[in-house]
Amino acid sequence: MEDVAIVGAGQSVFARSCGESIRELCFEAYKEALEGLDITGNDIDASVVCSAPEYDKQRSPSGLISEYLELTPKPTFYVETVCSSSSTGLRVAWSLIKAGLHKTVAVIGFQKMSELSSRDAAERMGRGGDIIWESPFGITMPAGYAMYARAHMARYGTTEEHLAKVRVKNSHYGVANPKANYRKELSLEDILNSEMITSPLKKFDCCANADGSSCIILAGGDVAKSITKKPIWVVGLGAATDTMSMAGRKSLTGLQCAQEAAKQAYEMAGVKPQDIDVAEVHDCFTVSELLAYEDLGFAKPGEGAGLLEDKETYVEGKIPVNVDGGLLSKGHPIGATGGSQIRTIVRQLRGEATEAQVKDAEIGLVHNIGGVGQYGNVTILRR
Amino acid sequence: MPVPGVPILEGLYPSTLDLYPFEAKEFNRIHQFYENLRQKRFTTTKCKKCGNVPFPPRVVCPQCNSEDLEWVDLPTQGKVLRFTEEVAGVPLGFESPLIHALIDLGVGRKLISRVINCKEGQLKEGDTVKLAVYDVPPMIIEKRGGVMEEAPRVFFAFEPVK
Ligand SMILES: CC(C)(COP(=O)(O)OP(=O)(O)OC[C@H]1O[C@@H](n2cnc3c(N)ncnc32)[C@H](O)[C@@H]1OP(=O)(O)O)[C@@H](O)C(=O)NCCC(=O)NCCS
Ligand SMILES: [Zn+2]
Repeated sequence: MEDVAIVGAGQSVFARSCGESIRELCFEAYKEALEGLDITGNDIDASVVCSAPEYDKQRSPSGLISEYLELTPKPTFYVETVCSSSSTGLRVAWSLIKAGLHKTVAVIGFQKMSELSSRDAAERMGRGGDIIWESPFGITMPAGYAMYARAHMARYGTTEEHLAKVRVKNSHYGVANPKANYRKELSLEDILNSEMITSPLKKFDCCANADGSSCIILAGGDVAKSITKKPIWVVGLGAATDTMSMAGRKSLTGLQCAQEAAKQAYEMAGVKPQDIDVAEVHDCFTVSELLAYEDLGFAKPGEGAGLLEDKETYVEGKIPVNVDGGLLSKGHPIGATGGSQIRTIVRQLRGEATEAQVKDAEIGLVHNIGGVGQYGNVTILRR
Repeated sequence: MPVPGVPILEGLYPSTLDLYPFEAKEFNRIHQFYENLRQKRFTTTKCKKCGNVPFPPRVVCPQCNSEDLEWVDLPTQGKVLRFTEEVAGVPLGFESPLIHALIDLGVGRKLISRVINCKEGQLKEGDTVKLAVYDVPPMIIEKRGGVMEEAPRVFFAFEPVK
């Protein structure tokens, strides 16, 4: 069976408020993804549109986006796993190509969150939990991850300062990313002194809601080689779930869905954690990045903070992570986020990440989580 | 009251925006849970065939597919394993601090719940909390001929044991 490659990757600027409609927003990412390719929209055989529907008036957005990008009459599908929607979209696109149904597929992720206040968005996000047994408590994503943080602190002695150091790093790289919303370097004190949101997470421990879009174009091997000089191969795919209810989790010191997805992806790619040259992980909160180090095997359980203390996840370190600033700097437009992470790794593996290029990066990894550890996708790419 | 910008919502009950469960017997098969809750009982179903006691309650045993289930009581006190006090950014419809906890009910069962009647800074891990039942806005059921009926509802949280 033919291998599958990413041939194009684009994203809009992620902003608190984009001032345009979702169709216009999607076009920006699509345009960037097509740049430099020897194809036009006519060569795209199908599209997978990814978002979380609760922020929009529009229902069934895939038909709308497909029309606006002038992809009709090609088929289009809507895929949703909240914050990990667009990496799930990548998995679907990969299967469509592998199955021989389509040769070239576009995965378009988007979210426009600025039409709602943060508290309204939090209410809708909360409905992504168990609507009968947990959502009525008003539990939010920050609160869910705060409980993971407390569990990790109690078990391993992780401190608020350790958490803050994630944002110190990510804010440092955010400065150089023209697509990021927050482009200001933050000091340890700035973060530790920011207002409390949900103990122990403070404002700068949290990602912000944002508007944004992403687009990844995939193609089967022969097509891929004919339309780009730098195809990036999808070599490992892992996907898993955990219980919708937080009460059903085996432990709160790691995300089981990420551990399981990582295992699958490493196995399929035939690589080990130490083979990864650069990674993008789902840092919706500072604690989430520390959990990711451990769930992905970059550090042993409980030793994630040490990796950061030794600056091993900086560009010069053993395993650079989120050197595009992460969700913490870029902002987190739910359905667009996975595609943005993939775009960063594609640019790294092509040697085009001028802002913060990891030297000779050959194998990259994307860790994208939906909800408070409900859906986990791990994807391994290779140049 | 007219709803700004949304004239069609005037006088209507937007059921999908209602955050509390549809507890009335017309809409689910575990309404007995809420009836028991009203009596300050915290209950779930036990399979009479294989003895399985899942929580939340079921209508079919997930282990043996039997439909022969009975209601049994769960403890109404537990210990706080983890908690967080949400002081900013709480969802619309809620006030801060909004306290969430992972509670150990003993008998090998954990659950997530809100902790109410508790001041910010008061709760500690290991504290004992007990079931608290409170009224939430009734559900509106539209009957034949456009008649709107109110179905009263309760929900639960936990509170510190003084
Ligand atoms: C942290 C949070 C509660 C803050 O909410 P808030 O205080 O209502 O924030 P607002 O939207 O009112 O913004 C207030 C200010 O803080 C800034 N801000 C908000 N979040 C920020 C962040 N994470 N980093 C830096 N600045 C932030 C805003 O830009 C804004 O500044 P401005 O007034 O200069 O524009 C909110 O951003 C949030 O809920 N984040 C988590 C989103 C989430 O859960 N996503 C899914 C994760 S899986
Ligand atoms: Zn049974």
